Amino acid sequence: MKDDKNKDQLCPHEEQYLDKVAKAREQWEEKLINPRLKRFNMEKANTRFYTPLDRAGSDFLESVGFPGLYPFTAGNSPLEFWKVHARLAAEMGFRPDWGGTRGVGKYGGFGTAGDYRDYLIRMHSMGRKGGPNIAFDLATQCGLDSDSGQAVGEVGRVGVAIDCFQDFATIYEPYTGELEIDKVPSNFTINAPCCVIIAMYAVLAKKRGISPAALRGTPQNDILKEFIARGTYIYPPGPSLRLFRDSLVFLREKMPLLNVNSMGGYHIREAGATREQDLAFSMANAAAYLEAGVEAGLDVNDFAALFTFNAFGGSMEMYHEIAFQRAARRVYARMLKEQFGATNPKAMIIRQPITAHIGCSSTTLQRPLNNWIRAAVGGIAAGMTGAIPGVFPPFDEPLGLGHSIEATQMQFDATRILLYETGITDVLDPWAGSYFMETLTDEIEAGALAEMDKINQMGGTVAAIESGYMQKAIARSAYEKQKRIEAKQDFVVGVNCFTSELELEVSINRDVEPTYDPALMATAEERQIESLKKMKASRNNRAVASLLNTLKSHAKDKDKNLMPDICDCVENHCTLQEICDVLREVFGEFTQAKL
Amino acid sequence: MTDNAKIRVLIAKPGLDGHERGARVIAYGLRDAGFEVIYTGLRQTPAQIASAAVQEDVDVIGLSILSGAHLALTKQLRQQLAARNGEDILLLVGGIIPENDIEALKQMGVAGVFTAGTPVSAVADFIRRNTKKAA
Repeated sequence: MKDDKNKDQLCPHEEQYLDKVAKAREQWEEKLINPRLKRFNMEKANTRFYTPLDRAGSDFLESVGFPGLYPFTAGNSPLEFWKVHARLAAEMGFRPDWGGTRGVGKYGGFGTAGDYRDYLIRMHSMGRKGGPNIAFDLATQCGLDSDSGQAVGEVGRVGVAIDCFQDFATIYEPYTGELEIDKVPSNFTINAPCCVIIAMYAVLAKKRGISPAALRGTPQNDILKEFIARGTYIYPPGPSLRLFRDSLVFLREKMPLLNVNSMGGYHIREAGATREQDLAFSMANAAAYLEAGVEAGLDVNDFAALFTFNAFGGSMEMYHEIAFQRAARRVYARMLKEQFGATNPKAMIIRQPITAHIGCSSTTLQRPLNNWIRAAVGGIAAGMTGAIPGVFPPFDEPLGLGHSIEATQMQFDATRILLYETGITDVLDPWAGSYFMETLTDEIEAGALAEMDKINQMGGTVAAIESGYMQKAIARSAYEKQKRIEAKQDFVVGVNCFTSELELEVSINRDVEPTYDPALMATAEERQIESLKKMKASRNNRAVASLLNTLKSHAKDKDKNLMPDICDCVENHCTLQEICDVLREVFGEFTQAKL
Repeated sequence: MTDNAKIRVLIAKPGLDGHERGARVIAYGLRDAGFEVIYTGLRQTPAQIASAAVQEDVDVIGLSILSGAHLALTKQLRQQLAARNGEDILLLVGGIIPENDIEALKQMGVAGVFTAGTPVSAVADFIRRNTKKAA
């Protein structure tokens, strides 16, 4: 269809030339390919070659354009911050684990707020002074207090436990002076109870006499992908989107420098989605957030410019991941412009800290040192798609023990080698105009658009989540992938091939830096429950009950923005779970459709 | 092969972690291999899992864990199973399990530990070899 339409636009000279190429291609197939197929008894070649015929009539300006210009296929910017300062970073010996006073620090969190505060103070004394980049424990992520029966064994484990405002404020104790909260940004990796955390941040500013309007940072605030992939949801998708809207309106009004969210296709792909599902589902989610803002009467040119993405999923198929990034930028930009009428270029770009990568699910437990080369392939793909050629993850990721200092050093160095020794980032979108890459980009885009159409026909993301369509589709894709590996249709080195005793297990000295004190981890739950008990005994419980009551009645009114009530609750020491429980009563809880 | 139809497997996700790719893939795979598979879904407590296992009269429980809480959760499940006379149920653990913890899990009564990269067929074979019912 594309060819028919576009061939009319060709000038006679081009048409003549394409005929010439077509003839040459036929001859090539006849003289070189066919005899070989016959000799090797193959029906079809397992390689491909692309020519101008594959791109007949394609319009470079329309489909690719220039870096920094619509449709952003070639990149968000012709000159990224890191590229400008790459030389300086090398001269000063910059380490990514430092953070910096302009940026957030290393993602982390454990134990009680006091435990994590002490850890941060120690990091600051070592020069690692980035803003708080908080990992919350699973109880907090699920809207549960540390004394909940469901929280047993989880308190302070995969992140820090936050039950009430006092916990939140404790983490920020070292952030004063040059690290005051209007000087360093914060990241909050939390979704279902994100409104409560945003409220805590606003209340903290108020108590410090700082305008919330001066705060910077990024809450993850991407609840929709939790239903699809990561599982820390509380309420059904409809009310969850209402809470998103409330946070969005509140942020634009009171905390305009804060990003609104950090959406992810990453989690979706890691859960098993194909590339097309990853792109389609994350774009469908983005569309739902955008609609929420538009319905609330906000200007898309304003608020969409504060949307961010953390990442899309990755794989070892480097060409496909490069094409994927190009397709994603174009799909998002076109959606914003054509569907939402955006005119501000900043509202049309996918703002994300990294681009292509391999995804942690590409790493193997078998012969784990090999993950270093796997991750480097992802770094090359990143370097070719407008990002720092970030080698990620460290090779010991699948061992489940935390990253060792050796693996982290190797990761940093691999990135630096790509950045400083190869010249990989000297050319913007080096694949632009490639007959092959442009075709692959179109194919991935078409696959994702077809899947998005399907979701639209179902009634959008919310309906597709409620029916379990997205969840089942991903589980199926994950299973199909597993079957391909078991049937040896896909090879994974050291897993389903090259596994004989002739192979050598190579290992290196590996010290796992004791990031968090195991003794503190072991007692965190007990100590946290004790401090929660004390807090509840010392607060004004009458005020708590009354504020929760108000929140409940306002929650029943869909048009009401709940953020002011949640701020009041937080300030008066209602716990995270008390707030979430009130909303559970009104909104109900989500239950996953059976597989 | 028809014997497999008799083997009932409960795949369970204990704790609050929501990464269920492994659990789902195993559930699909064992189902295709002819087992009767029940998947609990997310956020199950050890008591809920033990109770479901006994009520459903399963032969095998497969715990899927990657949050690092495998030792505590498995220990609790064993206690809950014991309280319900369910100690005979073949207990398997899969997920991100550091090598040093495998022996500890086995001492708790875990029959098999399956880490990343294990083919579903290997799990199926293990179950066939270790369940009395299907023999």
